[in-house]
Amino acid sequence: MVPMKVEAVQYGERKVYSVAAFNRGVADWLTRLPSVWVEGEVTELRRHARWQSVFFTLKDPSDGACLGVTILRSRFDALRLDLADGDRVHVLGRPDLYEARGDFRLRALSIERWGLGDHLAALERLKRKLTDEGLFAPERKRALPRLPRRIGLVTGNDAAAKRDVLTTITTRFPAAQVLVAETYVQGPLAAQAIIDALQELCSAPDVDIIVLARGGGSFEDLLPFSDERLVRAVASCSLPVVSAVGHEQDTPLCDLAADVRASTPTAAGRLVVPDVTELHERLDRSHAGLERGVRRALERARQHLDQLHVHLQRAPALMVERKRARLEHAAGRLRALSPRSTLERGYAIVRSDAGIVRTAAAVIAGDELEVEVADGRFGARAE
Amino acid sequence: MSEPSFEDAQRELERIVERLERGDADLDEAIKLWERGEELYKLCVGRLDAAHGKIEELARRVESARP
Repeated sequence: MVPMKVEAVQYGERKVYSVAAFNRGVADWLTRLPSVWVEGEVTELRRHARWQSVFFTLKDPSDGACLGVTILRSRFDALRLDLADGDRVHVLGRPDLYEARGDFRLRALSIERWGLGDHLAALERLKRKLTDEGLFAPERKRALPRLPRRIGLVTGNDAAAKRDVLTTITTRFPAAQVLVAETYVQGPLAAQAIIDALQELCSAPDVDIIVLARGGGSFEDLLPFSDERLVRAVASCSLPVVSAVGHEQDTPLCDLAADVRASTPTAAGRLVVPDVTELHERLDRSHAGLERGVRRALERARQHLDQLHVHLQRAPALMVERKRARLEHAAGRLRALSPRSTLERGYAIVRSDAGIVRTAAAVIAGDELEVEVADGRFGARAE
Repeated sequence: MSEPSFEDAQRELERIVERLERGDADLDEAIKLWERGEELYKLCVGRLDAAHGKIEELARRVESARP
């Protein structure tokens, strides 16, 4: 474009431009800016066979900022994009002023659809890169504490996900302590906001575990949860992280980086606290086992004692019995050896004053003798 | 000795019960185990009952940052 001289009319000190001159001047200045790519959503697409150009408005999905775009109809048709309102595109163009109306717009040279395919491909590349780094490796996963002192919950103010997590936690474990950090969960600010929330929860006292929860949403809505910065922050978080983002079929990369992936916010609630009823039952079982165990030990000790006591009591009688038996045995033998049995067979014992007479020479005629036979004694005189 | 965590206390309690149920501890030891077990049981139940549930919102630095 050939720069044009912009004429001003001088009114005393004041230099005044006509509208056309001003617009021409600005338009001229704008031509010095380079061509750039701009990303946004297509809205208000207007194409008429009679018009030389196609018009649409490019909208920033995060805050609704708008930019008018024009493109030559022939060029637009050649791109065969079949664009519709809401489509995400990248537009290569130059800033331009429509002089007749003072309308600022982007004069497009080319348009590319920035769709699901591109997002998916970018995500797939990132996933491969982080997998190669070992960020999702199973050996990195940490065990969750069975009874966390305090649970940190990162969530949007979107009622459902937050309510699901909190209801599940407090139903299962009424004594649970939860610290909630509400944050953006979609849009261009979300990734950094979630990272900040994670860090704040990590440095809050007593927090032992972090739950990252977000309800279902469109593919684009969940993109912040695959943001590389956020994925790395989840992987390197100083506390175990349970990720419950989207529905079962969604797998944002932060789910892979988390220590445990929960399919839904409710499932996340079940993972982070035990069921207090089950816990009580288990404790009661242990308690019963404890009492049973010690009672059994007591019983065993008592039985043993009783047995000893029985033995002890029986001991003296047993001793007397044994002694008596021995005595009788001795008496029997004694009796067998005594002369009485011999006397009973007809023998006699003859005694003089000098004792038992064993030889005839020991007796002198006239000696008084005593004769013992089996049933008694009688006197006799030696002849 | 500092108070064990709930999990440690519960695990020790369960080990004690196992030991008692095997029935190889003599009486003195069994009574000691039982006393320790009772202590652990009370501690665990106390932990469950004493804690009051609380849900707090983290005071964010930028309150207006909420969506």
